[in-house]
Amino acid sequence: MADQFTTPFYNQLVAEFENAPKGEETNSELLKSREDAFELFKAKGFPTSKDEDWKFTNLTPFLTDTFSLTTGKVDQDQVKNAVNAAVIPGLDAWMLVLLNGEVQFDLSVLPEADQFNVQPLEEVISTEVYKNYITCKEAEGNRMYALNAAFFTNGYFLEVPKNIVVNKPVQIIHLYTAAENMFFQPRHLIIVNENAKAELIEVSVSLGNAQRVLMNSVSQVTVKENANLIQYTIQDNAAEDRLINYNHVTQERSSRYDNFTFNLPGAELIRNNLEIVLNGTATETHLLGLYLVAGHQLTDNHTAIHHRFPHCDSNEIYKGVLLDKGKAVFNGKVFVERPAQKTNAFQQNNNLLLSDKAQVFAKPQLEIFADDVKCSHGCTVGQFDPESLFYLQSRGISEESARKLLVEAFMFDVTQKIENEVVKGYVQSLIYKKMENSLATII
Amino acid sequence: MLSIKNLHANIEGKEILKGINLEVKAGEVHAIMGPNGSGKSSLASVLAGRENYEVTEGEVWLDGKNLLDMKPEVRAREGVFLAFQYPVEIPGVSNINFLRTALSEIRTHRELPQLSAKEFLKMTKEKQALVEFEAKLANRSLNQGFSGGEKKRNEVFQLAMLEPKLSILDETDSGLDIDALRIVSNGINKLRSPDNAFILITHYQRLLEYIVPDFVHVLYNGQIVRSGTKELALELEEKGYDWLKEEFHGSESINKI
Ligand SMILES: Nc1ncnc2c1ncn2[C@@H]1O[C@H](COP(=O)(O)OP(=O)(O)OP(=O)(O)O)[C@@H](O)[C@H]1O
Ligand SMILES: [Mg+2]
Repeated sequence: MADQFTTPFYNQLVAEFENAPKGEETNSELLKSREDAFELFKAKGFPTSKDEDWKFTNLTPFLTDTFSLTTGKVDQDQVKNAVNAAVIPGLDAWMLVLLNGEVQFDLSVLPEADQFNVQPLEEVISTEVYKNYITCKEAEGNRMYALNAAFFTNGYFLEVPKNIVVNKPVQIIHLYTAAENMFFQPRHLIIVNENAKAELIEVSVSLGNAQRVLMNSVSQVTVKENANLIQYTIQDNAAEDRLINYNHVTQERSSRYDNFTFNLPGAELIRNNLEIVLNGTATETHLLGLYLVAGHQLTDNHTAIHHRFPHCDSNEIYKGVLLDKGKAVFNGKVFVERPAQKTNAFQQNNNLLLSDKAQVFAKPQLEIFADDVKCSHGCTVGQFDPESLFYLQSRGISEESARKLLVEAFMFDVTQKIENEVVKGYVQSLIYKKMENSLATII
Repeated sequence: MLSIKNLHANIEGKEILKGINLEVKAGEVHAIMGPNGSGKSSLASVLAGRENYEVTEGEVWLDGKNLLDMKPEVRAREGVFLAFQYPVEIPGVSNINFLRTALSEIRTHRELPQLSAKEFLKMTKEKQALVEFEAKLANRSLNQGFSGGEKKRNEVFQLAMLEPKLSILDETDSGLDIDALRIVSNGINKLRSPDNAFILITHYQRLLEYIVPDFVHVLYNGQIVRSGTKELALELEEKGYDWLKEEFHGSESINKI
């Protein structure tokens, strides 16, 4: 049996790195980190289902194709149309557009730098700013992270200056397109400085040219003292897409970070790793997720929260609706380290299984080393309550509308937390549109 | 309006309804009484179309249409309304959204024009006033956090909103305080018309003092064992059910000989 070390894709990546012209990198620290990362990847290869964190998500079938690492020509009109289609209607927002990981200033609408500053990542990686971000302790041993660290070339850098409350939300459109099977590894860096506040709405879409897109992206986020960041991730990709994300967030003292993750039916593979490091006291963290899994999708959300200081609150609700032959994985780790007294950590994961062919693997994982803490977690897997369905139908509501109402009700804990009404409406309408077909066919 | 003929129904293989016959005409009020577990709620459930009941024999007609062929929502649109003995709480479904959806689907079916937001609000207010149902509905989930009595009032409020032909009230009176019972009964009396009909399932003669029935039936062991007028309810109040049970079992053993 061929193992991953003999797959064409692994060999291709190894050759690519080893044959790349050396000396192009002026930053020796970065160069070393790339080499270290590459060595790890070369030695261990892609994760397999033998790895604890990949037990239920077998990457192998998604890596059998060959992928190109260099983008060919793209049709500008197609790109423009796709960007327009991805704009959230009625949202008054700044706009940052990335095409295949590359910042597109001509398609973006950005303010003066006194609101916030955007640069292509390439322009930042050799500067002082980037020093702190070259290595990432929590990602040590993570081979997908290592692969990104070895190869990444583009992405965006966004920095909000001290004391600035950004006057509008920022919609960030990540558009992927490919004329042949493509492998993308962008890397992004977000810094929200002291006392600043921002709302980022990241929408990931693809042109759906029937070519396979494999994406392995890394984001590093820092929310400085007293700062506040709301980050939405809406993954609304085409079936040919395979998305692997690693989002590392560091929160300094008294900061607040809210993350909303919405996985929609589409991409055949979604694997998100969201890692929160609480690097100061009195922080507040909200992680809210909705995964709708349909068709043959595999959607995997891994989250980890590291409580390292006292008086920090974290609150996590992930809800999944499973349709068709969808498969979902949820793994929520909460680490409360010894100094983190007076921690409040709450985690909840609920799954609504609407098809007997769908599957869900859910694992809450709490590791608590402090004694004066309040932590709780709960995990459920259920179906529609027949009593509720009958009650609604007995009032003249069709079975289909009744299901819709009950799905809406199921998701309510998460959707009610979306403070931006336009985004809330947008997400809800996307959900219904995407689920309509599957909902209509449940027996 | 409603015609039930020799209705038999099972739940989980166990026969619960054992040959019910009942005729309800427009403008009438029928009361159904009977000991616990005799099948009253089961009859209501079968009429409303609850899935886990299996009809094994018999027919049910609503104004010439075969009720048993219809899905629960179609029965509702055709004019059947069941006020539940135990209304469910549905967290996350807003009362208002629920009512609007229900009313809209019912009106479409009845070929009535849709209500504007303003008309809907006005109607909501009127009907809430009718049953003096003061609970705030906006921004609240369906029945969630409602007291037992509020849930019952909400059932009657929904009844008033949906304007059914045939209303089946399953122990709507239990859980209501003395004042509420009077208020809700008055509301129902106002809703009575020559074109609609009511089936009141109850254990208490008191309700029937407020809403005077044309007929009273006693359901026992899945059958209607006695029918009469409102005096029958008084007799039951006084004597209980034992005499009927004895009579029933007596006749049963005679039948067997
Ligand atoms: N889901 C079920 N599974 C098995 N038996 C059931 C089920 N539902 C009802 N029954 C049985 O059917 C019989 C009739 O119940 P039903 O609720 O119709 O009685 P009822 O006359 O409404 O009683 P009450 O006055 O207590 O409300 C009872 O013996 C009950 O246990
Ligand atoms: Mg009952």
